[in-house]
Amino acid sequence: MAQITFNEPEPKLGGKIKSLPWFFILMVIAVGAIGGGALYSAANASFLPWAKPHLIRFGMSLLVMLAFAFVDIRVWFRLAYPAYALMLALLAGVEVAGKVGAFGAQRWINLGFVQIQPSELMKIALVMALARYFHARSSEDSQRLRTLIVPALMILAPTAFVLLQPNLGTAIMLMLAGAAMLLVGGAPMWLFGAVGAAGLAALPVVWRSMHGYQKRRVMTFLDPSVDPLGAGYHITQSRIALGSGGLFGKGFLRGTQSHLNFLPEKQTDFIFPLLAEEWGLWGGVAVLGLFALLSYYGIGIGLRSRNQFGRMLAIGLSVNLFLYVFINTAMVMGLIPVVGVPLPLISYGGTSMLAVMMGFGMLISVLLHRDIKISRRYPLGD
Amino acid sequence: MTQAGNFVPLEGAIGSHFGPALPESVGHPSSMTVTVEGAARQTLEQARTRLVVVGALFGLALLVVAGRLVDLAILGGAGSNNQVRVAPAAARVVRADILDRNGHVLATSIATASLFADPQKIIDAPDAARQLATLFPDVTYGEFLQKLQGKNRFVWLRRHLTPRQQYDVNQLGIPGVAFEPDERRLYPQGSEVAQVIGYADIDSQGIAGIEQSFDDYLAKGTDPLRLSIDIRLQHMLHREVAAQVEEFHAMGGGGLIMDTHTGEILAMVSLPDFDPEQPGAEPKPAPGEPDPHFNRMTLGVYEMGSIFKVFNTALALDSGKVKLTDYFDAWHPIKIGRFTIHDFKGDELPGYSSVAKIFEISSNIGSAQMVKQVGPEAQEQFMDKLGLTKKMSLEVPEVGTPGIPRPWRPINMLTIAFGHGISVTPVQLVSAICAVANGGILRPATLIQRPDGAVPQGVRVISEETSDTMRRLMRLVVTGGTAKQFGNVPGYLVGGKTGTAEKIMLGSYAKRHANLSSFVGVFPMTDPRYAVFVTIDEPHGNKKSAGFETGGWVAAPAVARVISSMGPLLGVPAVDPDSPVIQAKMEIDVNPVGRHIAPN
Repeated sequence: MAQITFNEPEPKLGGKIKSLPWFFILMVIAVGAIGGGALYSAANASFLPWAKPHLIRFGMSLLVMLAFAFVDIRVWFRLAYPAYALMLALLAGVEVAGKVGAFGAQRWINLGFVQIQPSELMKIALVMALARYFHARSSEDSQRLRTLIVPALMILAPTAFVLLQPNLGTAIMLMLAGAAMLLVGGAPMWLFGAVGAAGLAALPVVWRSMHGYQKRRVMTFLDPSVDPLGAGYHITQSRIALGSGGLFGKGFLRGTQSHLNFLPEKQTDFIFPLLAEEWGLWGGVAVLGLFALLSYYGIGIGLRSRNQFGRMLAIGLSVNLFLYVFINTAMVMGLIPVVGVPLPLISYGGTSMLAVMMGFGMLISVLLHRDIKISRRYPLGD
Repeated sequence: MTQAGNFVPLEGAIGSHFGPALPESVGHPSSMTVTVEGAARQTLEQARTRLVVVGALFGLALLVVAGRLVDLAILGGAGSNNQVRVAPAAARVVRADILDRNGHVLATSIATASLFADPQKIIDAPDAARQLATLFPDVTYGEFLQKLQGKNRFVWLRRHLTPRQQYDVNQLGIPGVAFEPDERRLYPQGSEVAQVIGYADIDSQGIAGIEQSFDDYLAKGTDPLRLSIDIRLQHMLHREVAAQVEEFHAMGGGGLIMDTHTGEILAMVSLPDFDPEQPGAEPKPAPGEPDPHFNRMTLGVYEMGSIFKVFNTALALDSGKVKLTDYFDAWHPIKIGRFTIHDFKGDELPGYSSVAKIFEISSNIGSAQMVKQVGPEAQEQFMDKLGLTKKMSLEVPEVGTPGIPRPWRPINMLTIAFGHGISVTPVQLVSAICAVANGGILRPATLIQRPDGAVPQGVRVISEETSDTMRRLMRLVVTGGTAKQFGNVPGYLVGGKTGTAEKIMLGSYAKRHANLSSFVGVFPMTDPRYAVFVTIDEPHGNKKSAGFETGGWVAAPAVARVISSMGPLLGVPAVDPDSPVIQAKMEIDVNPVGRHIAPN
C-alpha cells in the first residue's frame, strides 16, 4: 500500500482537543451511566454480574472513541475498503470457524484475547465502504443503475452472511442502513419503490427460508396472545413491564417484573422495559430523547462536513444508531417483531458497545476534520 | 461554548443550518475544475435534501415509538390492559401453622398454584379441554369443556396443582389459561386431631374448629398457634377409644385428657372422625348414624349418669349437712309422682349404707336420699358454680349448651343426684371433676397452651377438706368399687368414677341397650395431675365383658390403658400403693360409726 500523503495539513492535536464536542460526549457518558444503573438494578442491586463489567467496558470504549476521534478522516477513508473486506472475511469465518453461541446462533469469533461479533463491526465497515464509494460518485452517476450495482452487492454480501448465522436483527439493520446510504448517496427514488415491491413479492420465499424461531416471532408479533406462555411470553411480559411503570415509574430498584424474573433477557435486549418500569413514562421518553439528540447530532455533524465521505460516514453512523434504538424500543413495545437488537450502551454486551463507541469516535473525527478536502478520484494521490 | 454546541440539531433547525453551509463551500477554492465543483455541489445539495427526508423519517419513527410508550404506560396498551396481571409486589403470606404444645405440626400450609381460565380468550375450547383432560385424568373432558365454554371471564379449572402439573400445563401453552399463586392446607396428623383443629376450605379460610375461631390470626401468617394438645397423648387416647368402639361395636366414642391444675386439654378425641384434608369426602351419615364432623366432647351434651355422683357427694359433704359417717337407705326404691328410682339389679344395697359405700357401689337410691338433705336450690347453685348449667367458653365454635331443668323441681334434684335430667358437654364434666379432685379450684378448660405462669387463679367450688375426701372416695371406686376390674393401673394411684347413662330416645329412656358408658379417671390420686375421660356410645356387651355394657367394663379399661401409657411418658413417678404413707392418704372407712338418716 502506498504511503499516505495528505493534500491538506491535518489540524493540530491541541486544536482537535479544543474543538471536541463536549456536549455530545457528555450525552454519550450519560447513556452509558444509565446502562450501568439499569444493569445494577437488573441484578437486584448488585454490580455483578453485569453492571461492573459494563462500566469497565464503557470506560475502555470511551478511550477507544477518543482515540478514533483524533484519527485523521483520510485514514478512515483509506481504511474503508480494507476494513470492509476484513469484516466480510470474518463474517465468512464465523460460518466456518465460528463458535456455537446461545440458541445455535453462530455470532462470535474468537481472536484469542477477545470474542467479537463481526456482524456488529460490519455495521460500521459497511457504512465506511459505502461512504467511500459514494464519495467518488456524483449525483448524476448515482442515478445510473450501473453505479448502484457495486453498493448493492456491498450491502447484500454481509446481509446474506448475517442471515446465515442467523441474525435477523443485524441483517435488517444492514439492509436499512445501506438503503439510507443509497438514498442520501443519490440513488433514484423510484428504485426504493421497486425494491420495496420486490421485497414484498419475495416475502413468501423469505418466509420459507426462515428458522422456526424466527417464524414464531413474526407470528407472535402479529398476535402475541396466540401463545402467551411460549413465544408470546417475551412481548407480553415486556408490555406489562412498560405498562406497570405508569407516568413516574416504580422507582429505582423497585421494578417487579424484572426483579421477579418475569421479564426475560432483561439485561440485554429487554432492558428498556426495565428502565420504563422503574422510571416510568418520563424516564423512557428521556432515554429516547437522549438517543434522538445523539442521532440528530450525528446528522448535524454530517451536514457540517465539507467532504462527501465525511458526510456519508456521519449519516450512515447516525442511521445505524437510530436503527439500534428504533428497532430495540419498537420491538419491546410490540410495534415490530422481536428480532434481537440491543439498546446501545445500555444493554449488556461487549461487541455492540465497542462498535457503537467506535462509530461515535468516527463521528467526532468527521467533525474535527470537517474542513479537510478529499480528492474525488484519487484522494490519496495514488 | 463549544463548536458542537452551535449546531445542536433540532428538527426544525436542520434546514436552516443547511442554507449558510452552501455559500461557504462555494467560497472555498478547490483544485478541481468548475464542472466538477458544480457536480459536487449538486451532489451535496441533493444529499442535503435527502438528509432532511431521512431526518424527518427518524423523527417520525421516534415519535411513533414515544407514542406507543405513552400508550403502554398511561393508557395501558389498547385492548390488552384488562388482562395485564402484574406480579405481586411481595411474597404471598401463607396461613400460619398450628402446633401442638411441644411444637409438632398439626396444620401447615404449602404454596401451590391454581389453574384458571378466561373462557373469552380460549381459542379452541374442545382442543384445550382435550389436552387438559389428558393431564388430569380425574377430571373429565366434558367438565373442562363446559368450563372453558362458559360466559364468565374467570373460571377455576383446577386448584392446588403440583409443580409437575404446573410445568405440564405450561408446556401445553394453551392461551387463555393462567396460574394464580395459591396455598393448600395440610394436616400431617390426619384425622387424629380433626375434631379439634377443624379445617380450612379450599381458599384456606377456616370453617370449623380452631381453624375457624382463629381464622383472622392464622390468616395474618405471623406466628404459629400453639395448642394445649399433646399429640402423643392424643394418639394414645385416639387409639384406645377407637379400640373400645370397635370391640363393643359401638356407635361412637370420645375421650379427653385434661391437666387438673391448669384446665389445659391435652387430648380430645371424638369418633367417628374425618379427614380434614378432604372434609365432606366421607359418606353422609344415615339417619341415626353419628356425624363425623360432630365433636362429641365440645358440642355434644349428654346425661353423664353416675359420674355426677362425684358432684352429688361433694355437694352433700361440703354443705356440712351430710357427714362421711352418715348412713342412708339405699334399699327402698323412691317413688315420686309416677317415677320410681331404683338401682341396677344386683347392685342393690340392703338396709342402710354409708356415704362411702353408696359412692363405691354407685347407688342411685342412696345418692337421691343424700341430696334431699341439701335441697334443690343448693344443688342448682352448686351445679352453677361448677359451670355445668351454662354454655362454656372454649376456643372452638362448636360448643353445646347444657340441658338443665326449668324449673329445678324436687324430682329433678333427685335424678340429677345420679346424673339424669341434666345434660352437659364432656369438657364441662371433666373440668368440674378436675375442680373436685385438685383441691377444690375450678379453672376454665382451654385448647390453647397457657404461657408459663398464666394459669388463672380459678374459683373455689369446694373446700380443700372435701376435695381430700372426694379423692379417697374416687380411689375407692377403683380399688373396690364399680371400676375395680379394669380401672386400676399399678403404681399410678388411679381414682375415678364410672357412669352408665341410659340414652334418651324419642323422649323416653330406652331399655337397656342404648347406654352411654363412661369413666373418668384421675391420677395420681394423692396429688392429681391428669384427668382422663372416655365415653363409649351404645356399646354392645360381648363375651369378654360378660355381657356388661357399663362404664366400668367398657370405658374404664381404655382409661387404664391410656394412663399406663401416658404415666411413664410424662414422668409421673410410680408409687407403691401399699406403702404406709400412701395408705394413710387414701384410707377411707366404709363402715364408720355414725347416724342413720331415715328417708322422709
